[in-house]
Amino acid sequence: MSAPAPSTAHHTRTSTSHRLRVMGGIAVSILFLFPIYWMVLTSFKQQVDIFTTPPKFLFIPTLETYIEYMQRADITRRLVNTIIVATGSGLLSIVVGAMAGYALARIRIRGAATFGLLILLSRGVPPIALAVPMFLVARKLGLTDKHITLILAYSTFLIPYVMWLMRSFFLSLPRELEESAMIDGCSRYGALFKIIIPISLPGLLSTLIFSMILAWEELLFALVLTNRHASTIPVAIAGIAGDTVNGANWGALTAVGTITVVPVVVFALLVQKWLITGLAEGATKG
Amino acid sequence: MSAELAKQTQATPARRRGRIGDLLVRWSFMVPAILLLSVMLAYPIFYTIDISFSRFDISSFGAGEWVGWENYIEVMDDYRFWESLKVTMIYLVIALPLQVVLGFSIAFLINAEWAGRGLIRALFIIPMVVAPVVAGGMWRMILDPLWGILNYWLGFIGIGPLDWFGDPTLAMAAVIIIDTWRWTPFIVLIATAALLALPKDVFEAAKIDGANWWSTLWSVAVPLLVPVIAATFVIRWLGAVKMFDIVLAATYGGPGKATNVINLFIYEEAFRSLRFAESAAMAVIVLIVTMVLTGLFLYGSRKLEELF
Repeated sequence: MSAPAPSTAHHTRTSTSHRLRVMGGIAVSILFLFPIYWMVLTSFKQQVDIFTTPPKFLFIPTLETYIEYMQRADITRRLVNTIIVATGSGLLSIVVGAMAGYALARIRIRGAATFGLLILLSRGVPPIALAVPMFLVARKLGLTDKHITLILAYSTFLIPYVMWLMRSFFLSLPRELEESAMIDGCSRYGALFKIIIPISLPGLLSTLIFSMILAWEELLFALVLTNRHASTIPVAIAGIAGDTVNGANWGALTAVGTITVVPVVVFALLVQKWLITGLAEGATKG
Repeated sequence: MSAELAKQTQATPARRRGRIGDLLVRWSFMVPAILLLSVMLAYPIFYTIDISFSRFDISSFGAGEWVGWENYIEVMDDYRFWESLKVTMIYLVIALPLQVVLGFSIAFLINAEWAGRGLIRALFIIPMVVAPVVAGGMWRMILDPLWGILNYWLGFIGIGPLDWFGDPTLAMAAVIIIDTWRWTPFIVLIATAALLALPKDVFEAAKIDGANWWSTLWSVAVPLLVPVIAATFVIRWLGAVKMFDIVLAATYGGPGKATNVINLFIYEEAFRSLRFAESAAMAVIVLIVTMVLTGLFLYGSRKLEELF
């Protein structure tokens, strides 16, 4: 679209509009990143530097809030819980979801397509319609406030997600791969483990990371199904943000917010290339 | 089909056993997902329906006697339910088109070829992975009427101070701004890839034919992009109907009930007021409406694809 045009009159016109586009792009990126920058900045401020007019950009940074809040409000325990739940539900969903995605992409089973469609449709189920019965059943079975309950609850939205992504990933692989392996005497599982999984490793790993991110930031089920022992970080943030008794505790909010966001950003940037193509694939083929 | 059947009847027992074995192996790929989702997804939905037709029994903490449509009638008579649906609708009707248009426009901007393009595209991933609840809390600070940095800046151009969380309209605007901030980058990334995939020669042909910028956009680019735009809209819709975290952290439905979206309302009714039967009825209504609209959107996006 912005290929250099041969005539000079055209050339100057495209280069001004091109320059405008580049500058517009930079401006928009700054606009979108500023809130995060401001959050991270605020987390290193002392209380006196937070509530000022004009807002302070320059100040002596401190780790006070971090040190104070890592001890209060059970942040460390919640962090551990969030890691356990995100890893557990991520691993469970990648195994179960990728198998189903593989079946839908490669194995002809009568009736499987119907189940596949049902599972995909379930992406439209509002979580609140699941939260009420899950809470009641978990309470009856004495399963509230346990990691496993959250892990299973998260699999309800992670498995369909993984299945959907991995199905299109497996479809993009050449069919001959398993066919030749199976002619050579491999069983279906043999072909899967020896041929498909090794070459799908980047896709599987990225999907695992996305799933873990989704589990990491989930709030509703965590609010409903946990209260003390298995509670996660998002619940803590909701608590701090909604704390009208102690007023706006921006130091805590931004410090815990930064702790929540930083690891996820690092992971997301690690898989960014696959994230972009995966998203686009999903959007056009899903 | 019949030939296959004929073959099957002729098969020796050993071969049939092999066949059944093969069938089992085939199904074994699907069974874990089906089992898990039956227990964790299908069963809860049926249980919700069960509760929605019962009186909720506090002593056994489960569905009590059958009361027919009673809960549904009660919910339908509840003006708060309708208010909440209205609020949700306003949010959806403004936020979704805004985010799609903004997403594709920004994608056009950041797709300009220059050295920093890859970096900018990577940076756009960051807002996308900020937990919605963090986004809500963070923006609550930025939009704070007294100490927030946005009001401070708006003061320079003579606006404000705006009471973002005290005024019903502004509170809705705040929710939409936060949601748009969180979700537009997601659309930008999809749109970026879609724009890059557009065939270049069509645009060159349009240029040679002397088409101006606007008509190129409307008669060449948009028709080519319609399938992706429609798909993006559907995906974003599926996320937006689940709106909960941002509102909970930023406004908690306030002021009054101005931003009390349906998921938050049901949550409050169930877990604060312990009106489980009524909230189950509401959840079922929302589930049906969502499913019907999702089906319509999917059908509509298919139709659009055929049209262009």
